[in-house]
This record gives sequence, C-alpha cells and structure tokens, in this order.
Amino acid sequence: MSNQKKLLIFLGGTILTIVTLFVLVQIAGVGYFQNISILAGITLIATLGVAILTGYTGLFTIGHAGFMAMGGYLAAILVKEYHVPFILALMGGGIFAGFTSFIIGYPAFRSRLRGDYFAIATLGFAEAIRLLLNNVRAIGPIKLGGSFGYMDIPSLNVLCWEWLGSDGWNGVIVVLLFAVGTLVMTHMFVKSQYGKNCIAVCQDEVAAQMMGVDLMRTKMLALFISAFFAGVAGALMAFYYGYLTPGFFMITRSSDLLAGVVFGGMQSLIGPTITSIVLVAVPEVLRGINEYRLIAYGLFFVIVMIFRPQGLLGYVEMNFDFVRQLWRREPAKATGK
Amino acid sequence: MDLFIQQLINGVSIGAIYSLLAVGYALVYSVYNFTNWAFDGFMAFGAFMGFTAIASMSMPFWAAATVSMILTIVLSVGVEKLAYQPLRVRKAPRLFMMISAMGVNLAIVNTINKLYTGTLRRFPIPDSWTQTITIGQASIGQMDIVAAIIAFILLAILWIFLYKTKWGLGVRASSIDILTSSLMGINNNAVAFIIFATTGVLSSVAGVFFGIKYAVYPLMGGPVTIKAMIASIVGGLGSLPAAVVGSMILGVLETMVSGYISSSYRDLFAFAFLIVILLFFPNGLMGKETGEKL
Amino acid sequence: MGIQEPTTNKILELRNLTIDFGGVRAVNDLSLSIAPGEFIGLIGPNGAGKTTVFNLITNAYQATSGDILFEGKSVRGVTPDKICRMGISRTFQNIRLFPHMTVYENVELGLHAQPHYSLFESFVRLPRASRAEREARQKAHELLEMVNLEQHANAVAGSLPYGLQRRLEIARAVAADPKILLLDEPAAGMNEDECNDLVRLIRQIHESKKFTIIMIEHHMAVVMDLCKDHRIYVLTLGSLLTYGGPAEIQSNPQVIKAYLGEKKDGRNKRVS
Repeated sequence: MSNQKKLLIFLGGTILTIVTLFVLVQIAGVGYFQNISILAGITLIATLGVAILTGYTGLFTIGHAGFMAMGGYLAAILVKEYHVPFILALMGGGIFAGFTSFIIGYPAFRSRLRGDYFAIATLGFAEAIRLLLNNVRAIGPIKLGGSFGYMDIPSLNVLCWEWLGSDGWNGVIVVLLFAVGTLVMTHMFVKSQYGKNCIAVCQDEVAAQMMGVDLMRTKMLALFISAFFAGVAGALMAFYYGYLTPGFFMITRSSDLLAGVVFGGMQSLIGPTITSIVLVAVPEVLRGINEYRLIAYGLFFVIVMIFRPQGLLGYVEMNFDFVRQLWRREPAKATGK
Repeated sequence: MDLFIQQLINGVSIGAIYSLLAVGYALVYSVYNFTNWAFDGFMAFGAFMGFTAIASMSMPFWAAATVSMILTIVLSVGVEKLAYQPLRVRKAPRLFMMISAMGVNLAIVNTINKLYTGTLRRFPIPDSWTQTITIGQASIGQMDIVAAIIAFILLAILWIFLYKTKWGLGVRASSIDILTSSLMGINNNAVAFIIFATTGVLSSVAGVFFGIKYAVYPLMGGPVTIKAMIASIVGGLGSLPAAVVGSMILGVLETMVSGYISSSYRDLFAFAFLIVILLFFPNGLMGKETGEKL
Repeated sequence: MGIQEPTTNKILELRNLTIDFGGVRAVNDLSLSIAPGEFIGLIGPNGAGKTTVFNLITNAYQATSGDILFEGKSVRGVTPDKICRMGISRTFQNIRLFPHMTVYENVELGLHAQPHYSLFESFVRLPRASRAEREARQKAHELLEMVNLEQHANAVAGSLPYGLQRRLEIARAVAADPKILLLDEPAAGMNEDECNDLVRLIRQIHESKKFTIIMIEHHMAVVMDLCKDHRIYVLTLGSLLTYGGPAEIQSNPQVIKAYLGEKKDGRNKRVS
C-alpha cells in the first residue's frame, strides 16, 4: 500500500472517529459518553496487557480478572485507608498484581509440558482470588466486606486534579492519558529486543532457546507486564465505580479481555485496541443484545479460529514510518521492523 | 475417628467423580495435546438434560440418565467435528485450539444460562435415595456411595476397553503419536469419535451426580472441572492412571480440609495444592518429561 | 589442528559421553577433542546418533553419564540458552525458523543472545537503546548480504523455498556470534549446484569468521571438500567407529561396511 494511501486512510479514519464521537455525544448525552470513554480506557489498558502475554508470547490466559482484582483492591485500600496519593496507589496496585503473577508463573513455566499448565493455573488463580475475596470480611481494621463489597472508595472525580476539567471530565482525561500511555509503552516493548524475544518464544520456543533466549525470563517478564497493566486497570475501575465487589472479577471479565485479543488479532496492538473499544461501546449502545454477548463471543472464538485466526489486524503493527517518509519525500521502502 | 471415616469416604466419593472428569480431560489431552475447556459445558449440559427429562417430561431416573448420556455424546462429538477437527487437520497451534475450546464452552454455558436462568435447582430424585447410612457417629450419604461405585465401574470399563480391545489399542497408539498411527491404518475419525463420545459419557455422569449432590445451575461445571484439571496435572498430565490418582488425592485432601479446617476455603485449597505440587514435582507426581524431537 | 586430536588448547571435549532413552543407548561412551578453528565432520549412517550428539552438546538432552567440556569447563547442567550465550550455536536437521517472522527478523533474533540494553531503557527509548538497535540492524543486513538473502529481507520466512530457508538458518546461527557453530545436515535435499554454492558459503564463513565448525552431513562430496586438512569422525549405532582425515576415512573398509552393510551373495550368504 502506498504511503499516500496510508496517510489518507489514517486521516480519514481519524476524522470519521471524531465525527462519530461528536454525534454520539449529541444523541446520548455527555455523561453517557464519559462513562463509555472511561470504561473503554480501562478495558483497553488491561487488554493491551493480555495482548502482550497471549498475542505476542502465545500464552493463553483466562485469569487476568484476578490481577485486576489484586490491583484494584490494593489501590483502593491504599487511598481510602492510608491516604496514599492517587498515582502512587495506581502504580502500587499494578506492581502488587505483577508480583502476584510470580506465584503462578514460576511453577507453571518450569515444567517441560508447555502451555496448558499455565492456562489452567490462570483459571485456578482467578477463581481462588475471587473466592478469597468473597470470604474475607476484614483484614484487621480494614473492612473488605467479603461478597458485599468494599465500599466508599474515593471517586475519580475527587482524586484527579480539578484543573483538568469539571463535571467529571478530569476523570475521563486521566483515564485516557493512562490508556494512551499504556499504548505507547506496550508499543515500545514489542519493538524492543525483549518484545522480539516474546515473539520468538511464541513461534518456536525450542529454536528460541537454542538461539540464546532465556525462556523462563521472557515468559515471566511478559506475564509481569500483563499483570501490571491489569492491576492498574483494576485500580482505575475501583476509583471509577467507587466500590469493589468480587463479582466484578468473574471469568466473564477475563473472557472479555481475551476476546479483545482474539478478535483484534495476534501479534498486534492496533487490532486489540480497536476491538476492545468497539466491544465496550457496542453493548452499551445496544443494551438489548447484552444477554447474548457471551454466547456470541463463544461462537465467534470458534469461527475466528477456523476462518481467520489472525483476527482483525493480526501481525499488523502500528507504524508511522509512512508519515516520516512522506515528510522527507523518501520512496516507500519496506523497512525491517 | 468416625468423623475421619466419614470425611474419608466422602473424599473418596468426590474423588471418584473428579476422576471421571479428569480422565476425560487427560484422554483428550494425551491424544490431541490441548485442553478441552468445553467439558465444563458438557457437564452442565448433561446435568440439565437429565433434569429436564425428569422434571419436564417425567421420565424415570435411569431413562433420564441414559437420555442425558446420549445427548451429551451427540454434543461432544458434534463439537469435535465442528470446532476442533477443522483446526486439527491443518495442524493449528495448540493456542488456537484452546481458544476454540474456550469459545465452545462460553457458548454452551451461556446458552444454558439464557434458556434456564441461573437459579439453583434441585435434581429431582426420590427422597428415599437421599437417605444416609450411619456407622457409629459417621453418616454417609447413600448417593455418595452409589456415585463412587458407578464411577469406578465406568473407569473399569474404560480401562478394559483401552487395554483389552483392539479399538482401545488404536486409541492408545494415537495418544503416543497420532500421525504414525494413522499411517499404520488406524482410522483417525473413529478415534476422535471414540474419545469424544467417552468424554460425553463421563461428563454427563459427573454432571448428573454433581447435580444430585449439590445443585443444578449453568455455572456448575466451572469449579469442578478446574479441580479435575488440577488433579490431572498433579498426577501427571497426559496419563490416565495419574489422573485417577491425582483426583483421589485431591478429593480426599480437600474433604479433610473442609471438614477439619473450614469449608469456605475448600476450593482455594485445590489451587494452593496445584502450586505446591508443581513447585516440587514440575511434571506432576507420576509425570514423565516428553521432549520434542529436535 | 589437522588429523591428530589436540592434546592441549581444546575448545570442545567430550569425555565418555553416554545417553540412554529408556532401553535404547543412543550415544555410547563417546570421546573426542577439538581445537579452536577446526572444521570437523561428523558422519555415519542414519540413526547413528549424530544429531543426538549435537543435542547433548547444546544440552537439549541431558547426558546419562560422561562430560562435556567447553573451553576446559564442564557445561553439563547449563541451560541451552546459556550455552548459546557462552558461544555454541546451531542449525537444525528439520529447519526451525520462526515461520511468521521476516527473513530479516529471523537473523536479527540471532543477535539477541546478549542483551544490549535494559528493560527500562526499552520503554523510554534512551539514546543507548536506539543506537544498539541501529547497530543490530546493520549487522543483520551484513549477514543477509553474506548469505545472499538481502533481497528477500522482508519476505516471510515460512514462504521461502527450501534452499533459501537453509541459508537463512545458517545466517541466524552465525548472527549469534558463536565460538563453535554446529551445522546439522546443511546440504540435505540439495542438488549438485546448490551443494557447490553451499560449500562456497560455508568455507567463506569459516575463513572470515575463523570459528570452529562441526558439521553433520550425508553428502560425502561436501564433507570431503570442507574437511580437507581436518578430521572427520564416524559414528555408528551411537559409538565412535574411527576418525581421521578425508582420504583415510574414504578408504577405510570398516567405514564402507558401516554405510553399505556387508556384501552378500545371491543366496544371502555372507561373502568374505
């Protein structure tokens, strides 16, 4: 595809998106639009994490809701009980979730039989966390509430700097900033040496090891990063809703994240980005079909795997080289990524 | 002491049910090398079919159980043909097969949820069956014993089939190397049929028994199948005897934890058990390392 | 260097190396020594255990007994990726490229054995990371030129014809900057012209990079040509049959028997 064409598509797509957003806000109202934006941002952050683990490293996970729970509860506790600054609490939640990932990563990656130990362990982990949270009413003086939920968490609007906007816009802007930041960071990661090691592990683990890639380290790194982002997303969720219950973190949540990657495409960031935003927006807009959403996901998992396993934009990488080349009037040469 | 015996027998009964699922899981894994997440849905499907047969169509229990078994076989084999075989023949990576399996599971479980709603239902059996037998201070449910016996009979039948018949030999050969065995004249489609029909039978029996013991609801498969998979891993993934051993150990230990420590943490125990075992036995208790030919 | 095994300055030494797979002894009591810079041939009939020896050296398999010494130090328990980083790199009998990566990316991965920059730097793109990436890119392109694959740099590796895939695998193995390069049947499936090109390429690599090369091969012409002035080891049924220079090996009756079997007359009785 020529560079001019790419530029046209990019500009056209951006204009179309802006127009659509404008129309939506007019029809549905500002508050509704804010809600969708925040939810889409949160889902995007967690989905990008899963994209790194499943899309790039090939490790199936159905348990990232567990990491979201870890990050969410910890960040909420830090802010509500200990008045830790908002950003620090978010990072703390992410790092805490990241470290918990070692519990399943280390035993599961050690064994020679690859793939399935880890997948089952993610499922077991997420369910175990949910059960734990359901049963623990309090830790010392902190009333976690068990299945009734952890209440009265300070809200996004209160925590984010008011100069960013009023009427809830400050929250939207902060979440969007985090989402964009996550996109940039994951993009840097997959273009780096570490990201390429992940891809090699995904495509031929044995050959990768023979070429000097440390399998354990690469997988643990991908897992940590994905858990970190899930934790941050969970934390943002806590502050957005103002409360947390274990019911937020059921298998359906993990399935949603996986769907973003499966439909969006393996080894791609742009695919899952678009898909996860669409998957958040559409059920909100078409409330009626929500009941059938999971059935549809299930059927489409099978259909996509059989007919188009690369998903929407698999193996396509976001690449603004075409802009640089047009600017400098270079001929479109295929660059080694 | 009586409490101990009660827990022990309970544990054996639960372990027997886990074995059914764990063996079904291990069978598919050993031949096709992927995790059939859908057997969660198969189990719920079996339970609901049995339930519907009795509650809505007033069938007697054994007829309902048979109907459930047949329908689950149809479902299982159908899933294999539609969702797994197309991927298998083009040698799709196992990640793709797992995603397809997860998709099947989501579709089945959520369809059941939509049709029946999530309310817990009691599996309709005659009241006389729920009696307990008392030995000293221990009381043991009649159904638990029946469940364990039937589970062991099924496993014995499966064992005889696999080790004493020609078809079974074909299945075992396929579990070692499916390509070579097909070159040796073993019909791959027949093997697939047998394996998934077996999964259907085992899942529906487990579903009915769990429905009787606890309740019938769309998500009933989840916690149980996770534990069956954990049991299979703990024993040593890919080996059928190991799946049974792992299941019995898990069933007994878990019931002990529930009885002596706390019942709410019973399900958590399974996960912790998995992690601890994997730390010390990376290939399971009885597992063997299999390497790839380089 | 040459027809005699080195007594000092061994870059690789195998001592009584044995591996059993269940009841089968795939490699039996194998001992050999190699000096730096040598070009060693490893031949023998199918099933002799040659690839197994490579797998043992790279620790893909764990030996049952015996030892492997790389530059004088035992490497028996070391993980395969660490062995690659220490300096032993290989190609595979059944090509193992990264099928969905481009030709360029496959070679670039070989360069990754040593981390060039830290994880933090990769997120923040400090100058050191960018420079390292640029250097890697340049080296990768040089390697592609060396094996004549530069024009295919952006082709998907899995779509290349067989002969080019073999060359790519060699380039990737060389990218790891090894001290010992293990080539597993690089000429498999090639016709005479392709073999000649391959011989030229491998000789060029050996002469310019000057590392040690051990090569498993069935094409006798290729082996005899490349191993001139060096040694060839002959393996049968897991044991070392003999070793020597190309001329000796070619005329050794035991070697001929191992490959062709014993001569039998029309009634299937042995002819002495």
